[in-house]
Amino acid sequence: MNEQRGHSIWFTFSSLLFMPIVFCGLTFVIGMEVGDGGFKRFSNSLLTSYTLTSIFLLLTLFVYGDTRKRPIAPLIGMLVASGLGVLITFMMLSQGEMLMEDNGSVRAQALSNIIRFSTTLLAVIVSGLLVGGLVFSSLMQNSDHSSIGEEE
Amino acid sequence: MNMESDLQVFALFWMAGALVMLGGLLSLLSKSSKVTRAGKFMALVGGFSIIISPWTIPSSPSSAFGHFFGSILGPTALLTLGMYNIAFSGNMSVERLSKTERRNGFIMVFLALLWFEGMHWWQFTPTYQGEINPYWLIFWATLLLVSSGFTTSAFVMVRGLGDQRDREQRLLLVVQVMLFLLVFLGLQVDGPNVLASDFVNEIWLVGADVFGMVVGGGLAILMFTFVIFIYESQSIEPQVLHPPTEEELKQAVSILSPHVSGGAEDE
Repeated sequence: MNEQRGHSIWFTFSSLLFMPIVFCGLTFVIGMEVGDGGFKRFSNSLLTSYTLTSIFLLLTLFVYGDTRKRPIAPLIGMLVASGLGVLITFMMLSQGEMLMEDNGSVRAQALSNIIRFSTTLLAVIVSGLLVGGLVFSSLMQNSDHSSIGEEE
Repeated sequence: MNMESDLQVFALFWMAGALVMLGGLLSLLSKSSKVTRAGKFMALVGGFSIIISPWTIPSSPSSAFGHFFGSILGPTALLTLGMYNIAFSGNMSVERLSKTERRNGFIMVFLALLWFEGMHWWQFTPTYQGEINPYWLIFWATLLLVSSGFTTSAFVMVRGLGDQRDREQRLLLVVQVMLFLLVFLGLQVDGPNVLASDFVNEIWLVGADVFGMVVGGGLAILMFTFVIFIYESQSIEPQVLHPPTEEELKQAVSILSPHVSGGAEDE
């Protein structure tokens, strides 16, 4: 049963990435000149996402602390993890052409990465609203069933 | 950019961004209603400061984000309200909305989608300082790419977990086909402002962005899990008490029995 559930989680996760992979493949079929800058964008996005998510999780530790007599160790652990993200980002950006895009300085590139991450995050939220809203509305309109997965 | 405008950008854009993030976190995570209200207010003030950044700090490249944010606010609000109206006019046991609100919801969602489409295929494209706003292009490509991913995932979930959910599966299939057609058209046909070649490049770059975001976010969550696991595994186990003796049980019964109705007869 657990193995089946594990498989279905992986299958759902893979299906999440399936269409984006198809579309990216389609851009290769249509325009062979694409690919330039893809690695930079991937790396910048990875580092920014890691750093900002770590900072967000660090802040959520204050809520976790409410139930655990405010421990210091996890805070320090996540502070180190976030700091590592910042350090690696600035180290990689300082290597010159490797991760730098059309920005004049390391600071400008880092700030540009944050704005781009926010834009992507906004798009993900609106996508979730659109698809989630559609599915939820459809489920609510259907009078035959009250919830999904109630019967096996 | 001189020192003064650097400070202005910091105060009016980056501090505002921090306010949105902090305010959002406080309103989501705090248990106190006062703090939640304060968090919402902070997020609102920060968001407003970002939206008016094209007027307050026009020389900064960051203000393009404020312009983009303002541009998508209208259709996003319409979409949210419309979805709310449609969903909560369904088979809800409480606070069910009327049929008029349901119809309004459909109109709102239709208008919102038309508005978004008009940005690509008509003259509504957000242009800032004479050029297409680059953040809008990123947003639009990401929206199509991620919506498509979410639709596939929702289809798999509804098919796997749902019982007789053919209607939802058909709906998701239609949405998926429409999204595919929209992306395919965008990749092949030039819009009045967005060229197909630009869109091809944007889809590829946005794909890299999304995969980077998934991997980076996943790594951060993994690190968080690791930190919590280490902390919890090192904490001292709570002291386990011995089971009560016969004498202690008798004493407990003698204290409890006068306060329990029915008493010995029921037992």
